Amino acid sequence: MIGMWLSPIGSVVRLEMKKTFFSKRGLWVYLVALAPVAVMFLHSMVSLANGEERRALAAAHPTSAAALQSIMPGMTVDEVLERAGEPFDRVDLGRRGVFRYTDGRDAYNVNFFNNQVARVTTRTRDTIAYDSTIFATVFQFFYLRLAIFFGCVGVFTNLFRGELLDKSLHYYLLTPLRREVLVIGKYIAGLTATTVIFCTGTVLQIWALSLHFEKSEIADFLNADGWSHIAAYVGVTAAACLGYGSVFLAAGLLFKNPIIPAASVEVWESLNIFLPATLKKVSVIYYLQSLCPIVAQPDENMNRFLKLMINAAEPVSAPVAIIGLFVVTGLVLLLSGRLARRLEINYSTD
Amino acid sequence: MSGAITFDNVSRFYGDVLGVNRVTLSIPPGITSLVGPNGSGKTTLMNLMTGLVRPTRGSIDVLGVSPQDPERLFKIVGYSTQFDSYPRGMTGFQFIQSYLRLFGMSANDAAAAAMRVIERVNLAEAANRKIAGYSKGMRQRIRLAQAIAHDPRVLVLDEPLNGLDPLVRSETIALFRAWAAEGRHVIVSSHVLHEVDSISDQVILLANGYVVAEGQIRGVRDEMREHPMQVVLRCTRANEMAARVFGADHVVEARLHADGGGLLIKTRDADKFYTMLNHIALDGFVIESVAPADDNVNSLYEYLIGGEEPTR
Repeated sequence: MIGMWLSPIGSVVRLEMKKTFFSKRGLWVYLVALAPVAVMFLHSMVSLANGEERRALAAAHPTSAAALQSIMPGMTVDEVLERAGEPFDRVDLGRRGVFRYTDGRDAYNVNFFNNQVARVTTRTRDTIAYDSTIFATVFQFFYLRLAIFFGCVGVFTNLFRGELLDKSLHYYLLTPLRREVLVIGKYIAGLTATTVIFCTGTVLQIWALSLHFEKSEIADFLNADGWSHIAAYVGVTAAACLGYGSVFLAAGLLFKNPIIPAASVEVWESLNIFLPATLKKVSVIYYLQSLCPIVAQPDENMNRFLKLMINAAEPVSAPVAIIGLFVVTGLVLLLSGRLARRLEINYSTD
Repeated sequence: MSGAITFDNVSRFYGDVLGVNRVTLSIPPGITSLVGPNGSGKTTLMNLMTGLVRPTRGSIDVLGVSPQDPERLFKIVGYSTQFDSYPRGMTGFQFIQSYLRLFGMSANDAAAAAMRVIERVNLAEAANRKIAGYSKGMRQRIRLAQAIAHDPRVLVLDEPLNGLDPLVRSETIALFRAWAAEGRHVIVSSHVLHEVDSISDQVILLANGYVVAEGQIRGVRDEMREHPMQVVLRCTRANEMAARVFGADHVVEARLHADGGGLLIKTRDADKFYTMLNHIALDGFVIESVAPADDNVNSLYEYLIGGEEPTR
């Protein structure tokens, strides 16, 4: 039975692969997938440039971290100069003033009021732990909920709807192909394309984010839990394509306009945390968030809507999450198969 | 497996718009033409028998197979649609080979079968060119190749002669005849009457979603008693001939040709007329030719549907 299905599924996948990877209609999916890579890359470049600048300033105005950390509120200008030496920059605002120091790694601003230290602010160099949290937030807020979500809308709703618009779906429907086989073949092609595109995006983001760290720092991170985090993020990305892909494949069979189901699913996924336990399980984000290695922490300055978006649902264990996702996907694909059996070619009304 | 394609009280509506209504048909093997003006329901009927659309009411049976069972149906049916769109970037060869692979054929078998069928529709030289660069006639032929590639018992061809040059057209018609001679069903839609007239074993006339007549063209014509049969006669002594035939009670009109060398005769009973003509010939009239003037699809259409005449 499975053997009978494999050959035609392979034929469908071969035909669909080129369309899903190289469709002009899907070019924006690449942009959405790679946009965060550009942001992470920029962040690394800025951090590298800042590091270079601090090292140069520290060379010209040598001081030590210990000396700078010993500056306390209430000290006079002379005491500060005695401990930390001449700053690389002075800002004189009458009764107020600022001395700017760097030890080549972190930056310190010593704020004076009436010639006495009022406070010391420190801008430390980004750490991998800090950037990991940033990445987790971007991943959960932007990548999962928007980039992969809408990327899957674009790819999977077009698998059937796009062919109806191109008036080419009859090519398949004039063959003795089981409609379920067609659904599976198209789904595999869409899943392959989105998984490759978005997993590449995930890996590139991590790579771009690591560019401004020392090799030794990266090695330490990888030797600790780095590899498992990277694998988890790639896995969650693939799982998101698996789950959202099945949902939007069915949506493409049900609706003419993909915006309506996309908006409805987005609302449903966002409302997930308010839903009762049973209904929570009928969503993709519920399982995905449970699989993320770091829970994104809402920033205190974040507005309420954004907080809501990254709030994790009550997590389940990884095996339960993976099985749950497969069950939801399987059920949706079964529904898609049924919908495909009732599919008609009536291009004039599509 | 039954030997006919049957429609039992089939209707199909697109929302409020009528596709076809209360169609009951039995299509035997041979070449059957669906004739009617644009929008008369020809394509809907073809889409119904190939399962691309489902009937709103009634049932369809294609040699014992339901059109809702594509796994079995498309092993015996090939359909050349009017849809002129193809998977992007494909050559003619890839188009047919990929299609055959969807039937479960191996790559090699599909390639060999694709080449055979491409040669059969005279496209071998263009097989490795992209379909996007094909002329209208070539695209028509590659669709035809697609329909026959898996050697089906039922061929459904929507306007298959559109865009073909005269030579290819006659070759294609010969192909239809050969398939029909093998006992296959060849169902052809057309709005070009003279084409249908020359190739069809039977016709189904459609207008506004209704079947207005079906059967062999002559048989359909014979049943239309309210329209006398017209016969063109070329003979000597046409005046005398007119007087002789007009004496018969089944002849309703005998009109002399302008050159005096022939007659247009209208009769209510063609059989009696031809018998009478044999007797007249024995009386010394030289009859050069006798030809029916209105037992063709064109006339049928005019009589049945009046103003809604398809393209000639």
